[in-house]
Amino acid sequence: MRRQAVLRVLVLPAFLAGASGPLRAQDAPSEETIAFFRQNCMSCHTIGGGRLTGPDLKGAHERADEAWLVDFVLDPKGVIDSGDPYAAEIFRDARGVYMTQVPGIDRARAEKLVRLIVSESAKEKSEFAGLQVSDRPLTDADVARGRQLFLGAATYQNGAPACVSCHTLSGLGGLGGGTLGPDLTDVYDRLEGRKALAAWLGSPPSMVMQPVFEGHALDGEEILALVGYLKSVAEGQEEAQPASTLRFVLLGFAGAAFLLLLFDFLWRKRYRATRRPLLRTSRHAAAGSHS
Amino acid sequence: MVFHLDKCIGCHTCSIACKNVWTDREGTEYMWWNNVETKPGTGYPTKWEDQESYKGGWKTDGKKLELRSTSKRKIVPNIFHNPSQPSLDDYYEPWTYDYSELFNAPEGDDQPVARPVSMITGEPLDLEAGPNWDDDLGGSEVYAANDPNLDVLSDQQQQQMKAIERMVMFYLPRICNHCLNPSCVASCPSGAMYKRGEDGIVLINQDRCRAWRSCISACPYKKTYYNWSTGKSEKCILCFPRLESGEAPACFHSCVGRIRYLGNVLYDADRIREAALLPDDALVEAQRDTILDPEDPAVLDAARRCGIPEGVIESAQKSPVYRFAKEWKLGLPLHVEYRTFPMLFYVPPLLPVMSVSEGDLVRSDVDELFADIEKARAPIAYLGKLFAAGNEGKVRYALRKQLAVRIWRRHCTVGDVDEAAARLALNEADCSPEQADEIYRLSALATWDDRFVIPPFQREMAMEMIADPHEHRSAAGFGFRDAPRRS
Repeated sequence: MRRQAVLRVLVLPAFLAGASGPLRAQDAPSEETIAFFRQNCMSCHTIGGGRLTGPDLKGAHERADEAWLVDFVLDPKGVIDSGDPYAAEIFRDARGVYMTQVPGIDRARAEKLVRLIVSESAKEKSEFAGLQVSDRPLTDADVARGRQLFLGAATYQNGAPACVSCHTLSGLGGLGGGTLGPDLTDVYDRLEGRKALAAWLGSPPSMVMQPVFEGHALDGEEILALVGYLKSVAEGQEEAQPASTLRFVLLGFAGAAFLLLLFDFLWRKRYRATRRPLLRTSRHAAAGSHS
Repeated sequence: MVFHLDKCIGCHTCSIACKNVWTDREGTEYMWWNNVETKPGTGYPTKWEDQESYKGGWKTDGKKLELRSTSKRKIVPNIFHNPSQPSLDDYYEPWTYDYSELFNAPEGDDQPVARPVSMITGEPLDLEAGPNWDDDLGGSEVYAANDPNLDVLSDQQQQQMKAIERMVMFYLPRICNHCLNPSCVASCPSGAMYKRGEDGIVLINQDRCRAWRSCISACPYKKTYYNWSTGKSEKCILCFPRLESGEAPACFHSCVGRIRYLGNVLYDADRIREAALLPDDALVEAQRDTILDPEDPAVLDAARRCGIPEGVIESAQKSPVYRFAKEWKLGLPLHVEYRTFPMLFYVPPLLPVMSVSEGDLVRSDVDELFADIEKARAPIAYLGKLFAAGNEGKVRYALRKQLAVRIWRRHCTVGDVDEAAARLALNEADCSPEQADEIYRLSALATWDDRFVIPPFQREMAMEMIADPHEHRSAAGFGFRDAPRRS
């Protein structure tokens, strides 16, 4: 009984602290909210910069009401799967890519984000119009450099890890790349091209990549090179996926066999058995002498 | 310890006594802390003397003494598996019989048989090995023929040992030698093994043993065993609980041939290291040199200064081991070339006394009765390999002396040997008539008290070093090894 009472006393203040205050409209967005938006939203969205993976957010509050937006930001997949007609339309426009669950989101934060969108939409030129990656045409040099960066043969300026440590591509050869992240063979198509891919690479939003790339952002030229490489991979893609899995398995077997043979060689003087060999050789000798 | 091989009849009573007292538990079924082997033979575990494969004991280049099995360098690549250990097949898979089949079999034309079943898996088993499978030269085409000690003999000599009416064998009872320079203790990575200060018994601390099994490879006599049930290694404890209450170990006590002698000796541990660096043929003498004369005033003085109790010194003065091994030079260590300096000394067997028949009569003139030891059936070289690391002189000396004692006693009791001839024989064997009588007395007539001179163990004093007896008395009792925890 006493333990329950203590629990109740503890729970009550926690509940009070968690309750949100009433919406206070038209506050200037805080530094923290701006940073959060930059970090988490800008890889797929712009405000007034056109569509990337996700829609341009300029005037989003006019297309759907603010409460709906807050709910959507909190649980995008849930709202889409609930059969909401407007959500379904967005989902179609995004070619079936779910908006990712934003790490560290809660209701208070979602409300602040929506208010940021409202205030930024009112501006002529928002500071969130998108990362300005050069529009110059991609060259063969970009593709070659992108391949080096992807494979880790060249290092990133800010010390970000090589893509290949978590991702693979078809036609990489050898054991392929890592399997922690998704296969990036058709990522250029999946993200609808250069602009969105570049935005993604500018600030990776996924739960895993975000902390890894924090403080190690990619440089504009590096992004272009990677985009060039990924584009060339997507265009030159062969149907090589099953073959590469088979190769991986076969290489594994071959490697295991090699290691076993190596151990067998290194420990070749190990103790094996005494009594059985003794019996075998003695019987052999006996059989030989009788015949 | 001394085992008088001339008296061993190979009855295995010692093995059974030991098994019943100590290794009749799960996990210890295959262990024989005491076993009796037939020589020539491969013994138990099979070919244990073959250190090329088992890597037991020490090796030296004259400057450094190193374990053959392991070192700081070798232990890293072999950390997950200690190599060079005999497998269960090299020991044997222990078995019992399904006796219920004898009683429950339905009536039929054949006698019911009890099937052998493994004591480890419980499954029926095809018997093809046992701890003394080569007993009495059984299966000698395989086992005796592969005795590693036969290497020193020529093919002709080996053939002779197998020839009809020349065939020879003797028994070799083995227990842990409780060595002066134990390689098992040196190899233990957990520090679980130790040689007890007050009596030199080598023990494994069951609380500290971590199942590395280094001792099993390192012991050249293969006298430590791994208990698969408890995950600890075990070995002969020389029945220390019996010794501490003044009784002889079970195998000593039960010995039918009364071949076993037990006593303590005073030795100089500082000499062990340099002795172990000597070449093979000097080892027997070097080990004898580490054993000190308990009547020498300087030795007594040093012993008292080191705090050795008076009772221990007194029993060292009466020790039959000192007589056999040092004074009479009859006792020889088994395979001293492993450089562990085993403290179990064997009196080599004088084999066999041959009688020569002429018609219905047995000739009994001395020359034929006591043939020259050089013509003995067991070649001296073979015994030299076993008991003197190839130094045949040591074995020859011990055999000559035993033979001289026999001739002398024949003169005393039967009287058909000329006294001058008997004295000459003694003289040649470096033995006085008085010594001959003593050897005879201790070999043939010794009573329990003569054979087993057990020093007062002073456990109460040893205990005081680690615990206050009064406190220990109130804290110890029947129950848990570790105090039960309240949760």
